[in-house]
Amino acid sequence: MLNLIGLLAAFDNLTPMNMDALLPALNFLWQGLLAIFVVIGLIIIAVKITAFAIAKCDEIKKRREEAAQDAENGQTNS
Amino acid sequence: MEFLLQGFQALTWQQVVMWAIGGILIYLAIKKDMEPALLLPMGFGAILVNLPLSPVIGDPANGEHLGIITSLFKVGIEASEAMPLLLFIGIGCMIDFGPLLTNPKLFILGGAAQLGIFVTIILAAMIGFPLNDAASIGIIGAADGPTAILVAMQLASKYLGPIMVVAYSYMALVPIVQPAVIKMCTTKKERLIRMKYNAKQIPQLMRILFPIIVTIVSGLIAPDSLSLVGMLMFGNLLRECGVLKSLSETAQTTFSNTITLLLGITIAFQMQAAAFLSLETIIIMALGLFAFVFDTIGGVMCAKLINLFSKEKINPMLGAAGISAFPMASRVVAKMGTKEDPSNHLLMHAVGANVSGQIASAIVGGLIIGILGPFCGL
Repeated sequence: MLNLIGLLAAFDNLTPMNMDALLPALNFLWQGLLAIFVVIGLIIIAVKITAFAIAKCDEIKKRREEAAQDAENGQTNS
Repeated sequence: MEFLLQGFQALTWQQVVMWAIGGILIYLAIKKDMEPALLLPMGFGAILVNLPLSPVIGDPANGEHLGIITSLFKVGIEASEAMPLLLFIGIGCMIDFGPLLTNPKLFILGGAAQLGIFVTIILAAMIGFPLNDAASIGIIGAADGPTAILVAMQLASKYLGPIMVVAYSYMALVPIVQPAVIKMCTTKKERLIRMKYNAKQIPQLMRILFPIIVTIVSGLIAPDSLSLVGMLMFGNLLRECGVLKSLSETAQTTFSNTITLLLGITIAFQMQAAAFLSLETIIIMALGLFAFVFDTIGGVMCAKLINLFSKEKINPMLGAAGISAFPMASRVVAKMGTKEDPSNHLLMHAVGANVSGQIASAIVGGLIIGILGPFCGL
């Protein structure tokens, strides 16, 4: 590791471990990770709600169809 | 007769090295079947642009005729990032989000497997790269070529060439890099965890609404990701709507192939010896590997964390499939699963995590542009 740092230091633009950059970079780390999990969390919630709504709609549709079928059968029997 | 020697006289050793690199890329594409659709055009392009006096990279700014590769680069990548973005339509068309919709929890793994991007940004910044370059290097960890190109372009990184080459090369190396890291982070018992796959039919309405939901949510929270996520989801909507079959097929085949072909050869514009051969390129290669390793660790550790609180255990190897390299990462995990226990089939779960990584990496690309853009003077 020390050799690598030495190698890097030998290069004009790069300095050995710039600790000043650590704090701002850590700031980006938490902001970025928080943002991605917020987006993902919202997508999961939206998907769950949509799936629930679609299932409910299907259920109501099915019940209506069954009721209509029953009514039709009742009319035929009478 | 001197005109016959002009080319030889202008030749530099750096250009010869670039021919060798081009040759290696062509070898990897043909012999090792590593991302041949991209590595082969890139490899040939590397030779093409590094021939002395090559007219394909002529630039009117230097008093030369506009070369075809310069032209493609300026129009297709520099001016609008059109090529990587259009490629996302094709990718979106190819992806079936069914396995993810069956188990939306897997989405979390896609997010966690982006950890390497941020850790690499920190390391690159500490080594001394300016913030825009550090972020562009970190995005190699997205394991997603178009995202890497877009972020590097938007943040005006001067290392676009090495970043593109490293991003695409490492995607091809996923089957080599990931298994070792997965084994390092998991116990045999964890790798043997079985998961039930509930192959329920996803309603078409859900499949149609999903790309719209993702576009709206990511657009509201990370507007800068919209160009990537929007194109990806537009492609997926074409696939799922059911009324545009021929468009969907074209986007998956002819359209994607054309863009991939042009993108590969155009990327070569950034592989000119003078800019490419530097110590920074080697450091970028090392940082790219670091990003991939930490992505895998992030995903695996997140799956382990979920297991602490969840009744239904997740096989932690699935976390590694949360990176965007599709479908390599899911294949690697599925293969490792069957290797540990031939009757343990993880493929569909892994595909779910993998496609979530595809979305997450595009969102993270936009987030990075949004968060770091103002600091980079954009």
